[in-house]
Amino acid sequence: MKLNFILTVAAIVAISFAGATTTKAKTTLEIVKERGHLRCQVGPASPGFYNLDAKGEWYGSDVSVCQAVAAAIFGSKKKLEIQSVSSQVRFTALANGESDMLSRTATWTLLRDTQLGLDFTAVNFYDGQGFMVPKDSGITSAMDLKGATVCVLTGTTTELNLADFSRANNLNIKPVTFEDSNVRNDTYLQGGCDALTNDKSGLASNKAAFPNPGDHTVLPETISKEPLAPAVRQGDAQWFDIVKWTVYTLINAEEHGITKANVDKMRSTSTNASVRRMLGVEGNLNEGLGLSKDWAYNIIKEVGNYGEIYEAYMGGGKLGIGIGRSGSANDLWTRGGLMYSPPFR
Amino acid sequence: MSIVKYKKTAPRDAPLSETTFIGWLQKNLFSSWVNTILTIISLYIVYAVVKSLWFWGIQDAVWVAENRRECFAISKHGACWAGVLIWLDNIFYGRFPRDELWRVNLGGLLLVLWMAPLWLPRVKDKIFIGLSTVFLYPFLAGYLFAGGDKGIFMQVMVSGAIVCLAGNTLHSILGVMSGRGLPEVLIGILRKENASDGNQRNTLLVILAVAYVIAYALQTSWSVMAVPWSKWGGMHLTLVISGIGITSALPGGIVLALGRRSRLPVIRVLSVSFIEIFRSVPLITVLFMATTMFPLFMPEGFVLNKLVQVIIAVCLFSACYMAETVRAGLQAIPKGQYEAAHTIGLGYWGMMSLIVMPQALKHMIPNIVGSFIGLLKDTTLVSIIGLFDLLGMLRAISQDIPWRGLHHEPLIFGAALYFVVCFVMSKYSRHLEVKLSAGGER
Amino acid sequence: MAIDDSGKTATLKPKAKFDFFHDERVRSTAYQILTACVVGWSAWYLITNTAHNLEVRGMNTGFGFLTATAGFDTDFKLIEYKPGVGTYGRIFLIGCINTLLVSFLAIILSTVLGFAVGVLRLSSNWLVARLALAYVEVVRNTPLLLQIIFWYVGVFALLPRVKNSLDLSAGAEVAFLNNRGLYAAWPVLDDMFWMTIFAFFVAVAGVLLLRRWAHRRQDETGKQFPVLAASIALLIVFPYLVYLASGSTLNWDVPKLQGFNFAGGAALPPAFLALLVALVSYHAAHLAEAVRAGILSVDKGQTEAALAIGLRPNKANSLIIIPQAMRAIVPPMISLWMNVVKNSSLAIAIGYSDVVALFMQTALNQAGYAVEMVGMTMAFYMFISLSISGVLNIYNKRVQLEER
Repeated sequence: MKLNFILTVAAIVAISFAGATTTKAKTTLEIVKERGHLRCQVGPASPGFYNLDAKGEWYGSDVSVCQAVAAAIFGSKKKLEIQSVSSQVRFTALANGESDMLSRTATWTLLRDTQLGLDFTAVNFYDGQGFMVPKDSGITSAMDLKGATVCVLTGTTTELNLADFSRANNLNIKPVTFEDSNVRNDTYLQGGCDALTNDKSGLASNKAAFPNPGDHTVLPETISKEPLAPAVRQGDAQWFDIVKWTVYTLINAEEHGITKANVDKMRSTSTNASVRRMLGVEGNLNEGLGLSKDWAYNIIKEVGNYGEIYEAYMGGGKLGIGIGRSGSANDLWTRGGLMYSPPFR
Repeated sequence: MSIVKYKKTAPRDAPLSETTFIGWLQKNLFSSWVNTILTIISLYIVYAVVKSLWFWGIQDAVWVAENRRECFAISKHGACWAGVLIWLDNIFYGRFPRDELWRVNLGGLLLVLWMAPLWLPRVKDKIFIGLSTVFLYPFLAGYLFAGGDKGIFMQVMVSGAIVCLAGNTLHSILGVMSGRGLPEVLIGILRKENASDGNQRNTLLVILAVAYVIAYALQTSWSVMAVPWSKWGGMHLTLVISGIGITSALPGGIVLALGRRSRLPVIRVLSVSFIEIFRSVPLITVLFMATTMFPLFMPEGFVLNKLVQVIIAVCLFSACYMAETVRAGLQAIPKGQYEAAHTIGLGYWGMMSLIVMPQALKHMIPNIVGSFIGLLKDTTLVSIIGLFDLLGMLRAISQDIPWRGLHHEPLIFGAALYFVVCFVMSKYSRHLEVKLSAGGER
Repeated sequence: MAIDDSGKTATLKPKAKFDFFHDERVRSTAYQILTACVVGWSAWYLITNTAHNLEVRGMNTGFGFLTATAGFDTDFKLIEYKPGVGTYGRIFLIGCINTLLVSFLAIILSTVLGFAVGVLRLSSNWLVARLALAYVEVVRNTPLLLQIIFWYVGVFALLPRVKNSLDLSAGAEVAFLNNRGLYAAWPVLDDMFWMTIFAFFVAVAGVLLLRRWAHRRQDETGKQFPVLAASIALLIVFPYLVYLASGSTLNWDVPKLQGFNFAGGAALPPAFLALLVALVSYHAAHLAEAVRAGILSVDKGQTEAALAIGLRPNKANSLIIIPQAMRAIVPPMISLWMNVVKNSSLAIAIGYSDVVALFMQTALNQAGYAVEMVGMTMAFYMFISLSISGVLNIYNKRVQLEER
């Protein structure tokens, strides 16, 4: 009887520990390589950045960044496990090791960079918060929103920015918060609030989903800066560099005109020293990162360059949400935007 | 003296109000002014609801389309079921690789096969079959769903489960056909009916050991592709979380309920506070606590994945509710049973396992089914912390670019799914209640 | 012949061999010490791990954040709060008050509706009984989260826009309903009004005494006293007289349409209304089942006897059946009331700022003090639930049968 009891208890303890994994103090790159695939964290679903399709596969520009990092390490974008985490626990899930990186429209702010145990790498999308109103409301500027009711999604910097904006301009805006973006959109469409506030990329995609997109207009003001960047755990410098330089590879590739289609040709025939260094033909840029010589080549071959990703998911591609790029902050620095990669040398 | 003659008159027909439909109407629906008004109001409500549902959901609905714009083009006011139909795989299986869906289906089929004997009339040892479902099926199903390399522990349990399933099936077939159990038939085949009990038992154990070794050998070479937990989703994930919740709630609840009734003050205080803490907070706070605080509780380097955190939280939560159910069941046993058990010399554990629990279980089963239904509905909350259960999948349809904004139809479909599953189960629990108390009512 | 027992009976002294491992006292003490040690060690282990992990990850701890100012705003608050000026402690208070408001109203309304539907389920009108059954089955078998979302979306489909607000006071323009909320005129109290409020509480005490007196009178003489009518009269007339006598004036803050919204008066957001309706309908369905089971548990002979002595059916119900049915109804009602409070936490789905949505979601995201915030929220819910169950258990003891 007593032996049974002890055995049962031991069995229960053993079973309960079966769901856990122990890791020793290794670097993140070692852990990822040992595991055999990258664990990337996205959110519930945000059109343009990360979405689920009917076959159960994730697609979007943030998903492409994850695929790029997977390609850099393993040579294939398929060695990737995408975890979807809600916004409440996104930062703690990264901090405790459940995922290796976070690529999910997280805004880079001082507080998040310093107090939450993570580091933001390189910005891959510059966004800003704006307002959308029905055309027939007669509102033409955000300053007209005195005393208005505004629908906003909870748990993000959007709420804080709205409150700051309202206070700074004495507008007395009444926020109505939601956890579900669909309920928020429904409320707005039914007139439950006068305006909708969201990042401008989100506004564009929301508008395109409305029954009559032409009846709504996005107000010109951008009331906040929302630089979106992938984030990694604090404390692993090599991993931080890998993710950061993956993003820069995408940008640099577009700057040099390297695309998914011509990367092979570029590798074998290009005479541009920067291109040759990046694609591993010359130099030893990969050693500091601990990756193979083909790391940048694999990224571009598997995923493409920044412009291709933007076109597919944010621009006019079949799965895109239709935001224009030229003249915006997300254009290359050579065309007046903010996408600027440090040199590959 | 007068003679009273009895002349039989032919029996008259029943009055119209008892026999005809109009009579029934008058008695049931229009018997008084109040009733008449109520009937008219009710009829109007029924008409309005059915009419709008019919027109929106069936008449004007779009069943096949490529994207939402096309739905709008075809029918402006009807439901766009096309999106839901295209996402059906996601809704039921989540992101499970489409080539491996047979594993999920097989897991479900095995459960039905395993539990079917509980309904068949002539099968004996139903309690053993039920317990084996609770303790062995999860391992087989767990391996089917998760896949990957089997450790020693997993191999042992999977072989045990295979042996058990084969044994149960044979046993039920034999039971239905001939009314005898598998052990009886085996003893008969080996012509050991007249051997001593110990001899018979050893023979059976030898047969069991041989079967186990065969099963073990078979399964070492069989393995399936690993599917990470992040790909589980939809109805499958909901059923997994609720299923694990209920099966672990039962032993946990029994332990807590016994602890609560214990005479030892320390144990009683601990059990009571544990039960009261988890019963008085909403499930969503427990889920939040699990996802934000469990990672902090673990020593450095020890990582629990999100699904395990949620399952632990759900198990703790449902164990406390189950403890109350068990307590009610224990209270329904007359005190005389406890006293009689002590009189014949049974200790505490003997009394509980041999006398009290079997009787109490009879009272508890309808409530257990009710708890399972409640747990099934409560697991919709895990979508708030980001797991792609059924509700999470339904919400994700509206974010998919071709189907942006489609969110009423999936939610209605989800509500209908839940309603069908829960309604069937609650009808079954009511049937169980009647059947189990049929012997007890005078 | 008498049997002589003097002094010859051998007294049996039990051989008191102290068997250490089988002695009950030793074993029970050992079990308790063992359990206490295991629990204590586990708790210590968890706490040290948590402290270490918080430190390693650079996350902050302590309750100091309660005095830090919060940068965000909420749309529904019953106490003063300004973003950038109000503290997190105040945010917690706002959340608690919001939760209590919706729970309190939902408990009252769902109890009333639950009893009504429970009785309707047993109605002799076939259609009404079937409709009640359909309502109870549909509501009980779909998840509450989905129902809340449906009601919220449905509320918007039904309510008019701000420009076409429905005037509920039929022309007097003191109460409006639109899809931004329910707006009503709210009294502005001046200094002398406290006397009227005090008079109201005195009237409440008077009503309770009146009830006791009326029951005693009925027990002794059999005469019934119209308690309900008298109570209502007392509650209205007495404070009114005091109000006139104290000479205070009542000013009303009337809601007026200014710009985008109504300003002034009291406002209830549609999220509140939708949550209230969803909670009431869900819990009324559960209570209806309990009421039905309770009424059915009363012996049919009671109904027949009541009708035989000439009581009308509704009097028979209220005087004979339901008081006895309460025995079976009150225990599930206790857990139902607790469930109302707990289920109000689903407000997070439609944006009503209750304590979970406001403190455990929004504030936690901004400030990040996970352990403290989750702990405070759970403590709040525990306090409310235990109070409810404590109070109702007192009532339960009064209606239960005394068992030997």
